[in-house]
Amino acid sequence: MSVKVLLFGAARLTVGREHVVVDAGQAPTCRAVLTELGAAYPALRPIAGVGRLAVNSEFASGDQQVRSTDEVALIGLVSGG
Amino acid sequence: MSVSVTITDGPLGPFLPPGAPAGAGALVLFEGIVREREADGPIDALDYEAYQPMAQRMLARIGDDLTTRLGLLGLWVEHSRGRVGVGRCSFRLVIAAPHRKEALAAMDEFIDRLKQDVPIWKVPVWRRATVAPARPSDRPDAG
Repeated sequence: MSVKVLLFGAARLTVGREHVVVDAGQAPTCRAVLTELGAAYPALRPIAGVGRLAVNSEFASGDQQVRSTDEVALIGLVSGG
Repeated sequence: MSVSVTITDGPLGPFLPPGAPAGAGALVLFEGIVREREADGPIDALDYEAYQPMAQRMLARIGDDLTTRLGLLGLWVEHSRGRVGVGRCSFRLVIAAPHRKEALAAMDEFIDRLKQDVPIWKVPVWRRATVAPARPSDRPDAG
């Protein structure tokens, strides 16, 4: 299943795009999406390694399954304030 | 009890103090100002990116949690999105509570959680190098 992942901050600057699409297999978990992000975009590994995924604007656990209709975002280290 | 969250384009405007709620014995204000340096050098500004509406919801959730747990009487938070120049305000938090102790504890915890869980990022706008205009004698064909 193809998963579109929104990128922000350092992740967006690293890849030069506001989103990427990865193929993380059938019924992927968030953990699988993060792993595939690092494999497909090695420059994102440091961010994906410490980052979390948000699914439909909520932080998701590694075990949470991603559905084709979900909005998925990579939340790297935040730096507001 | 009220929690107010505002995400604004550009630098925050002047602080307009909210009326102290009934029962308030402390009103604490924190303002975050853009420094002239980041770790890698001088900057002209910071560009803030927010993942909306998650950022708005996370700010409100932290405010609601602290208000309930610490018995706050009011919490107002503002954060910038987009470009904020050096010396300008990008973040403001105002907390009203019956006593100083809860207000200060809430202030500290709110900012810690903001920096951990709220999807807002700052991207430095590095200061452009200032190059002095060339003097005639600097030109290769001079003299």
